[in-house]
Amino acid sequence: MSVILHGGEPLLAGPARLRRVCEELTAALNGIAELDLRIHTNGVQLSPRYLDLFDEFDVKVGISLDGDRAANDRHRRFANGRTSHPLVLKAVELLRQERYRHLDLGLLCTIDIENDPHTVLDALVELDPPLIDFLLPHATWDDPPPRPNGSETAYAEWLLKVHDRWRDLGSPVPVRLFSSVLSTLGGGPSLTESLGLAPTDLVVVETDGQLEQVDSLKSAYEGAAATGFNVFAHSFDDVAAHPGVRARQLGLAGVSGTCRDCPVVRSCGGGLYTHRFSSADGFDNPSVYCRDLEALVRGIEARAEVPPSVTDHAELTYAQQDLTRTLLARLHADLDGRGGARWEEAWQLAGVLESSEQGAAGLDHVLSHPYTRTWLLETLEGLHAGRADAVDEALRLRACAAAAAVRSGLELDAGADYRDGLLHLPTLGELRLGGAGEHGTVQLRTGEGVVVIRRDDGAGEWCVRHGEDTPGWKPVRHLGQGGVPPFALDDLDPYRDCFAAPASSRLGPADADEWEAGLAEAWALLEREAPSHARVVAGSLTTLTPLATGRHTERRHGYGAIGLTSANDAKRLALELLGGFRRTTLRALLEVTDLYAADGAWVYHPLWQDGVVPFSRLLAETHERVALATLDPCYMGGVEEALDMMDSAAEPTLAGRRIISVLRNEVKQTRDKWAE
Amino acid sequence: MKTYETSPSFAIAKKSRVPLTEIDARSTDASRKLGRVFGISTGRPLQTSTFSSAL
Repeated sequence: MSVILHGGEPLLAGPARLRRVCEELTAALNGIAELDLRIHTNGVQLSPRYLDLFDEFDVKVGISLDGDRAANDRHRRFANGRTSHPLVLKAVELLRQERYRHLDLGLLCTIDIENDPHTVLDALVELDPPLIDFLLPHATWDDPPPRPNGSETAYAEWLLKVHDRWRDLGSPVPVRLFSSVLSTLGGGPSLTESLGLAPTDLVVVETDGQLEQVDSLKSAYEGAAATGFNVFAHSFDDVAAHPGVRARQLGLAGVSGTCRDCPVVRSCGGGLYTHRFSSADGFDNPSVYCRDLEALVRGIEARAEVPPSVTDHAELTYAQQDLTRTLLARLHADLDGRGGARWEEAWQLAGVLESSEQGAAGLDHVLSHPYTRTWLLETLEGLHAGRADAVDEALRLRACAAAAAVRSGLELDAGADYRDGLLHLPTLGELRLGGAGEHGTVQLRTGEGVVVIRRDDGAGEWCVRHGEDTPGWKPVRHLGQGGVPPFALDDLDPYRDCFAAPASSRLGPADADEWEAGLAEAWALLEREAPSHARVVAGSLTTLTPLATGRHTERRHGYGAIGLTSANDAKRLALELLGGFRRTTLRALLEVTDLYAADGAWVYHPLWQDGVVPFSRLLAETHERVALATLDPCYMGGVEEALDMMDSAAEPTLAGRRIISVLRNEVKQTRDKWAE
Repeated sequence: MKTYETSPSFAIAKKSRVPLTEIDARSTDASRKLGRVFGISTGRPLQTSTFSSAL
């Protein structure tokens, strides 16, 4: 629970009364909730007497300071007109001392656009606070803010000048206002009640025991903050049920109709509740700072950097690899020794592999395999659900590490397990070394282009050479002839059953040849009709899994795998290749970054179907159709309208907007192509 | 059809990465990454104050 001692000026209560407040609060919440006790002061009276008390009760201190002396003196002089600025600076200096530094929350600056924005920021930054925030001065539609130059975005212009200066200085200190906008632009929560749609759960306890809504409401009209409740007769639950408080919990439903249809509503949230007030409509208005907030959000959006994985497929691959490695490290941590010696042996082998370039390349290859992700996710879920076979499932790491050792070409020893007489080495193939129902362990000795596999019970030894036939060995086949990239045609991996139709069993030689011929034809079509897409697919897609007929529940897999159903219709196969690739790419992106937020809060009607869909589906279908339109113009129908809908939607994050912009460029190129 | 590939088509990770054994899989950063694909409880959620008139 956060308790903020606020004013007026709370230090006027004096150290003795503040001590009692701290003692009461600490005792009352002891063992019930963690107390986050803060005080916000103008700093004028702050002295070691107070700070020693705050240190004793861990009371964090925020100070109001409006910038340099000229800025601060504009609204913060003593009654006799004397400046308070030197005293505030002294307070900040005191708080920065080593003994009190841990209590320092930072500086809160109320904006006056008559002040020079650069001078204000410089003055604040020079004091080296841990955090700065800027507050728009309280105003309502009845009492609008001053706009000396008449600009309806004067406050946004002022703040963007501060923002640019702050960026130029290397963002030396977090600024809550900017952090909040960047958070919501990225799909995260707002960080202050003055912005965003996050519910506000604040109650003000006045010194006479009255329970009120946030004090800023008093700027709207006399009594606006009143609830009629007090600490003597009512509980906080009573306040929480008050219509005024509930209105602040409603998120999107709590803003005006105009705001609900606005693309920046996730970031501005309709602005501070107080700033929405007009005597004609109450609080059912956009903020009196509406144009400023829109310009500020758009301005920060235009200046913000998009995660590199959004526009660079290599970065996406790296982010996916990082995710897989983190999942593996998490599995190791969660097993917490339950994998026993067999897990430890494989884990150590992975470490050995990583210590050399060749070994790391081998390990990367196996960990990047899309179905390695399937294994990791299902094993972790099993482990967390307490499934009995989860530890056993985790031991597939032995086969992964062994496969990585084989790929490295290094001379290494690895252990692995076979089940039902089969040893499966991910990305490489499968060796029959026993009958159905037989389980056991093997030792592998790897070397350049060769691996020797020996059953630990001494019942057999196999030598598999790179590219040579070995009895009992079924290799993963690869394309690569006739200009087709060397995609793996994976019909062996036990985790490959990830698609909407069931994975086919191992293809016979004739079927494999048919797939190879069909894919060569499809690839030629793709290169001819959609060369830029073909280049991206060639660089990022790794694994094709043939599917049988029927329906199946999709499971998750890593980036770069698609399932294909049709071996002998080049156009259909090319469409499946491209459509599947777009789906796996979008999913991979969504696993590492947010492309939208508040999905489902609004619905859309794409022209290619009846009924409405949420933003996520509109984006996914448009993303796929835009690519497919390069092969067949029938997919162009409705995509430009869909892009218009997404452009004016509130859900897309910064990254999502970049994707929409990329899609628009693709559509333009495709339109030009079909116009020729 | 080939039974082995002639050129690796998989990504090669950046050299500056943290070794597997040194990844702190329970760090805030790791939990944030994993939380996107796997339901991880990071304990009781803490929400900082959003009161705009104070820090």
